[in-house]
Amino acid sequence: MIDFSVTGDAQILLDTVTRFAREHLADTARKAESARAPGADATRLYEDLGLMGLEAPGGGLGLLERCLVNETLGRADPGAALALDRLGAAGYALWAAEDHESVAAILADPARRAWLATPEDGAMNVSERAASGEIYFTPAGITDLVLLAPTGIAVIHGGIEELPVRGAGLRAANPMRLRLEEAPVARFYRTPTAGALARARLYMASLLLGVLDAAAAYARDYAMERITFGRPIAHHQAMTFMLTDMNTAVTGTRLLIQEAAWRLDTAGRDAEAARQAHEAAATAFVEAVEQSAFVGPAGVQVLGGLGFMQDYPVEKYMRESRALGLLYGGLDQARDDAMALPETTLMAGGLF
Amino acid sequence: MRFELDAATRDYVMSLREFGRDSIRPLGIERDRAGSPTPPDHPFFKEVLRRGLSKTTAAADDASPSPGPAVLRVISAQELAYWDRGVASSLPGPGLGGGPVMSMGTPEQKERLLGPFRNMTEPRWAAFAMTEPGAGSDVARIQSRAVQDGDEWVLNGAKLFSANADRADWIVVFATVDPALGRAGHRAFIVERGMPGLSEPRPEKKMGIKAYASASFTMNDLRVPAANLLGGEAHYEQRTRGAGFKGAMQTFNATRPAIAANAVGMARACLDEAMAFARDSDQLRPRDLDRMERMRRKTRTAWLMCLKAAWLADQGEANMVEASMAKATAAEVAMEAASLGMELLGAVALQGDHLIEKLYRDVKAMDIVEGTGQIQRIVMARHLVNYPREA
Repeated sequence: MIDFSVTGDAQILLDTVTRFAREHLADTARKAESARAPGADATRLYEDLGLMGLEAPGGGLGLLERCLVNETLGRADPGAALALDRLGAAGYALWAAEDHESVAAILADPARRAWLATPEDGAMNVSERAASGEIYFTPAGITDLVLLAPTGIAVIHGGIEELPVRGAGLRAANPMRLRLEEAPVARFYRTPTAGALARARLYMASLLLGVLDAAAAYARDYAMERITFGRPIAHHQAMTFMLTDMNTAVTGTRLLIQEAAWRLDTAGRDAEAARQAHEAAATAFVEAVEQSAFVGPAGVQVLGGLGFMQDYPVEKYMRESRALGLLYGGLDQARDDAMALPETTLMAGGLF
Repeated sequence: MRFELDAATRDYVMSLREFGRDSIRPLGIERDRAGSPTPPDHPFFKEVLRRGLSKTTAAADDASPSPGPAVLRVISAQELAYWDRGVASSLPGPGLGGGPVMSMGTPEQKERLLGPFRNMTEPRWAAFAMTEPGAGSDVARIQSRAVQDGDEWVLNGAKLFSANADRADWIVVFATVDPALGRAGHRAFIVERGMPGLSEPRPEKKMGIKAYASASFTMNDLRVPAANLLGGEAHYEQRTRGAGFKGAMQTFNATRPAIAANAVGMARACLDEAMAFARDSDQLRPRDLDRMERMRRKTRTAWLMCLKAAWLADQGEANMVEASMAKATAAEVAMEAASLGMELLGAVALQGDHLIEKLYRDVKAMDIVEGTGQIQRIVMARHLVNYPREA
């Protein structure tokens, strides 16, 4: 009934991803940031490990496993994780539309890259025929732009102009701004988008969680080594409490993400269960973003002046955790969705 | 991973919910107005026994180390506190006294002390007494003295805030053979009602959670037989360093997730009452929804922490960090939820007759009992950053 254990298959997957992230992403994160791309070996291995689309319907793994994987990748380099996953969260929209052919084509062709965006990710006008406007952040090389429009899902292949941007973070993904002028909609699916958006939020939230976990862990380790006034700074109570609160923030966010992912994986065709799962995903996203505003800057604070320097990773954690939380409508849109149906806890189902 | 309740547990929660709505909350409000604990002969307690509810909070089964799966315990604790935490704490059973008897007691003591709590036909209580006027969070510094005199121990000192001590058959009392020894000097004794030298436990006047007694008492040359030294001499000889202290801490580690669950239940009650008020008064504004979202999210987070801590306990795994995390988080969430409720009520709350006003008073205790939020952070820090004991 209540079970927090990770299954054997998922654990094996995680062990593999952990090794991959450590050996091919974490140690080269600054290099990837400068080069605006992960290393070629990382790209090849990511494809070989079958991490793209691992949560495909009927494949045996689900969103929960994706969240576990993304947390691990986010811990190492979230920008590289976005660059490596050519399907990304766009898969959720394509699967919702039962467009399995497009998913298969993207997975099979290394030259193709999909990206999921909502109108709130830029300034977009989307109809069933064409789309115009801008999307403010995507990785470079988008060939399949999947837009969550108010009435359905639009897939766009042509008429996309990429404009390089510096990027507030996530530079390993080679950030671009997209400009579309009457870009033709190749396919439009009149299908509900709430499920895809919920999954996409958890996709990003779990990457964000990985960054927060890395920030909290780095700050803790540093605080154990740095001596001031005759003791490790971790043992000055003002700092001690900040470190415990950072750890609590990460743990709470993780629990919300995992619960929401489980709900999305198990809701099936139960409309009420799906609604609750969508709210849970929005809730987890909001928590991740709110905690990024605490854990990210706190990580820098623990290191003091050193934290402000690019010789240490905490400034990158601070920038990138905040950047991830701005996608898919960001905090405010998710907050609205989390309270889509205000109700008492006696009325709500699930754990309450 | 799984995050769902089986049908039997859901049914159990529903039965608690019905009883909570019909009996627990009305009684809690009644006792709050009266300003005194529920009398031990109140028919409510017999109804509790008839429904078998005390079993979920009483460690009375010698065959198991806990009253049941820890997860079930937090589920029960959460729902009971939703309706009234004071009433929930007044339920018959060994209460906090059960933990040290189970973890430290000899087989004879377990049977003698906990046996009467099995299949109770009349309500009965036991209690736990650690806190003193000069020793709250720093329990290692208790001053109550224990001096051996032949086959007896002589106890002197004062204890505060002992739940249900006013009606307890026996109280687990912690005292020290030598304050200079710190934790290593601690011993736990069973003090029985009516023993000469034990003052009549006096319920304190509290700000909230008034339905159960937080009682204080003194011990003046109180003589207890050696058979009432919990665990016997052997327990302290085998574990010479701080065995008594560790027994007390094990009690808190086991109960902390349930206290956290109490706070989650109270936070839920605050949210629901605030939501109902805002709807009824047509005052649910967008900014209120944002605030409600935050509290609902924080409450959910705290609840998942409770479940995780309890689940770990059920797996036989260490849960000290998770238990402290749940306790620290849930207590703060409950306070914030109550404060938000007051804000939404506005001047209506000033009248002092709304349930949220009562909850606002009730919930503050949750960040104090069984370790303040600050102490919980210290506990976590010992594991997280090797925080030293003498810092």
